[in-house]
Amino acid sequence: MGIDLQLSEEQELIGTTANEFFEKQCPPKLVREYESGSPEFPEALWREMAGLGWLGMPFPERYGGLELAMLDMVPLYVELGRHLVPCPVLDTVALAGSLVYALGSDEQKKTLLPGIARGDSTIASAIMEPDGGYGPEAIQVRATRNGSGFLLNGTKVLVACAHSAGRLVCAARTATGVDEHGISLFLVDPRAPGATIERTPNIAGYPLYAIGFENVSVAEDAVLGEVDAAWPALYGTSMKAAVLQSAMVVGAGERLLAMTTDYAREREQFGKPIGKYQAVQYLCTDIAIHCHQTRLLTLQAAWRIDSGRPFLRESALAKASASRAAGAMTFAAHEVHAGVAFVTDYDLQLYTRRAKHWEYNLGDLRYHLDRACAESGL
Amino acid sequence: MVDLCADDTPELRAWRREVRDFLQEALPEPWTFWYDYDENPESWERYLAFWRKVGKKRWTALTWPAEYYGLGRPAIEKWILEEEFVNHDVPTYPVIGMHVSGYLLRHGTHEQRLKHLKGIADATVLWGEGYSEPGAGSDLAGLTTKAHRDGDEWVINGQKTLGTAAHFCQWMSVLARTDPDAPRHAGISCFLVPLDAPGVEMLPLDNMADGRQNMTYFDDVRVPADSLLGDENQAWTQIWFGMGGDRLDNAGPSLGPHSMRIVPLLNRVIRYCTRTSRGGRRLADDPVVRQQLGELMMGVEAIRLQACEMHGIAQSGRPSRFGEASMHMHQAVFKEFWPHLAQVCMEIVGPMAQIQGGRWAQLNGDIEHYFRASFGNHAGGTSQLKRMVLATRGLDLPR
Repeated sequence: MGIDLQLSEEQELIGTTANEFFEKQCPPKLVREYESGSPEFPEALWREMAGLGWLGMPFPERYGGLELAMLDMVPLYVELGRHLVPCPVLDTVALAGSLVYALGSDEQKKTLLPGIARGDSTIASAIMEPDGGYGPEAIQVRATRNGSGFLLNGTKVLVACAHSAGRLVCAARTATGVDEHGISLFLVDPRAPGATIERTPNIAGYPLYAIGFENVSVAEDAVLGEVDAAWPALYGTSMKAAVLQSAMVVGAGERLLAMTTDYAREREQFGKPIGKYQAVQYLCTDIAIHCHQTRLLTLQAAWRIDSGRPFLRESALAKASASRAAGAMTFAAHEVHAGVAFVTDYDLQLYTRRAKHWEYNLGDLRYHLDRACAESGL
Repeated sequence: MVDLCADDTPELRAWRREVRDFLQEALPEPWTFWYDYDENPESWERYLAFWRKVGKKRWTALTWPAEYYGLGRPAIEKWILEEEFVNHDVPTYPVIGMHVSGYLLRHGTHEQRLKHLKGIADATVLWGEGYSEPGAGSDLAGLTTKAHRDGDEWVINGQKTLGTAAHFCQWMSVLARTDPDAPRHAGISCFLVPLDAPGVEMLPLDNMADGRQNMTYFDDVRVPADSLLGDENQAWTQIWFGMGGDRLDNAGPSLGPHSMRIVPLLNRVIRYCTRTSRGGRRLADDPVVRQQLGELMMGVEAIRLQACEMHGIAQSGRPSRFGEASMHMHQAVFKEFWPHLAQVCMEIVGPMAQIQGGRWAQLNGDIEHYFRASFGNHAGGTSQLKRMVLATRGLDLPR
C-alpha cells in the first residue's frame, strides 16, 4: 500500500468478490432468520466461505490456510460488516484460531486449524468476564494445578457461538494477581463436566453465552503456549482482530451511508427531498467522515502489521475510531430516517444493534483511547 | 510522525536525513511562528531569512520542472520534506505563494512562469490573496470586483478583504468579474497584480490572534494584458476550485502544510502532560486527561492520514472515494478539528492556560495563542461550505 492508502487491485478483488457473494448468499432475510435462533449460524454459508478459502486466510498452507496478509483480509471483513454476515468468522478465525496459531504447538495447530479452514469445526474465544474489563486485571477465572493438569473455576461472558464450538480458547489465571504475568490460555471443551453454558439475550441478536466453570478439569496438553505467559500474545492477537472488527464497522458504515443518502434523496417533506436540507446533509456527511476516517486508520494499522512495524498504537486508534463511528453513524442514520427506521421491517435497525456489539467487541472507545496513550509511552 | 511507506528505499531514507540535517542547522532551537498570527518585525525577519535558505537550496521548488527553477524531483520526496518540516514545527511558507506557483505551473504562460516563479522559489517575492470581499465570503462567486479590458491593459475596480498578511506581500492574485452578463461562476478571471501599482490602497484589519488581515482597494488599477492568469472567465474552475477542490499535483500544495500544524502542537501538549503534576499526579496519569489525549491523537492521526491520501492520490492518479469532494471532506474535518483541539488543550492545561506570557505562562502561552488562532479556520472557505460540497458533490444529495 502506498501513501494513497488504497488497496491493490488483487485486494480490491477480494472485496468485490465477497460483496457479490454475500449480496446473493446473505440477504437481510437470512440475517433476520438467525437472530436469536437455532442453529447458531448458517452452516451452508459457512461451508461455502470455507470453500472460497476465507476461513483459513491467516493460517499457512500446512494448516489448510492461504497465509494472507492483513491487507488481504481487510476487504473481506469490510464485506462481512456490510452484509451483517451472521457467522463467527471474526471470533473463530481472527481471534480463537489466531490464538491457536500464535501460541499452539504444532500438534494443537494440526488438530484445530485445518478443521476451521475447511469449515468443519469452529472454536470460540472465552476471554471476557462479568467485570466487563478488557485488560489483564479483568481475567480472574482461576486455573489451579490438579495433578499434571488444571481445574478451572469462574465465569466467562459474551462468548460467541460457544454452543456449536468444538473448543473454547479460555483465558485464565494460573498465578493470582492483576498484572500481565500469570495469565494462561486453555483449550476447553464447552461440554466438559462442570461447564455450564447459558445463552444471553443481547442487543445484536447474536449467539453470545455466559459460561460457568466449576472444577472443570483440563489436561496439561490443553495449555496453549507457556503457562503464565499468554498475555502478550492474547493482547497482540486481540489488537490485530480489533483491526478486522474495525473493517467490519467500515463495511457497515458504507451501507449505512448508502441507505441514508438514498432515503434522503427519495423522501420528500415540505415539498422537497429532505436531502436538500442542510441539517440532513450534515448528518449524512457525519456518516461519511466517521466511516472514511475509520477506513484510513484501519488500513494504516493493517499495513503496519503486514510490514512488521510496531502497530499497537495504530490498532488502538483504529478500533477507537471504529467504536466511536459505530455509535455516531447509526445515530446519524436514525436521525435522517426517523420513524421509518424505528420499525423492525426496515433493515437499519439490524445495523444499529450489531454496531453496538462491535463497538464493545475487542475493546471499546474508552479502552482503546487509553491504550493509544499507553502505546504512545504515556 | 509515522510515515506510511515513504521510506521504502535507501535513497529516500538518505533524503530524509538530508532534510533533517538541514533543519537542525537552520533551526537551532524549536521555533513556533505563524505568519498569519504574528506582526513582530524581528520574527518576520528571522522567518523570511529561514525560507530564503530553503529557497537557496531550491527545496521550495523541489518538484517543479528544471526550466522553471525547479529540481524536477518526484513528489514522494516533497512528501518526506513536508513530514520533516512538520515534525520540526517549521513555520509554513509565507502566505499563498505556493498556491500561486501551482496556478502558474498549471495554467500560466511560459513568460508568466519565467517572470514569477523565481521570486516564489527564492521567497523574495511574497504573494497575497485577493479573493474574499465584504459581500463574498463562502459564496465567493458573488464577488463584485470588476476588471475590463482597455487596449493592452486590464482595469480593476473593487475591494478585497481578509487578505492575510497581504501588507508583507509584493504581489496579489486577484479574482475579478470580467463578464458581468455571464452566469455567476462563468464570468470570473484571475489577475496577477503588483501591490505597488497606482490605485492600490491597503488598510489594516487586525485579527484576534495578533496577526493582520487587510482590506485592499482597487481604484482604476491598470495592469498589462498578460497579467491575466489562465483563460478569461475560467478562473472559477482553473484557480479557485483548484485551491480547494481540485486534485493536488506536483505543483501544489504549500510546503509545511497548514493542516498539519496540529501534529507538533499535540506533541507539545503530550510532553507537557508527562512533566506537569496536578494534585500530586502527573497529568499523563489522570484518566480523564488520557481520554482527552487519546481522542486528540485519534483526530490528528485521521487528519494526517487524509493528507497522506490526498497526496498519494495526486501521485497515483487513482480515483478517490468521494471524487472531487474528497479534498473538501479533508478540509471540513480539519477546519472543525482546530477549534476543538484548541478547546481541549485549554481544558487540559487548565486555568493557567489563560496567561499569555512571562514566567507563569504554560507552554510559553502558545496554547492560548493557538486557541485564538483556531478561529481563523474559515480561511479558504468555512467547514459548513466544505460539508455542503461534500454532501452535494461527494454524496449526490440534491442542491
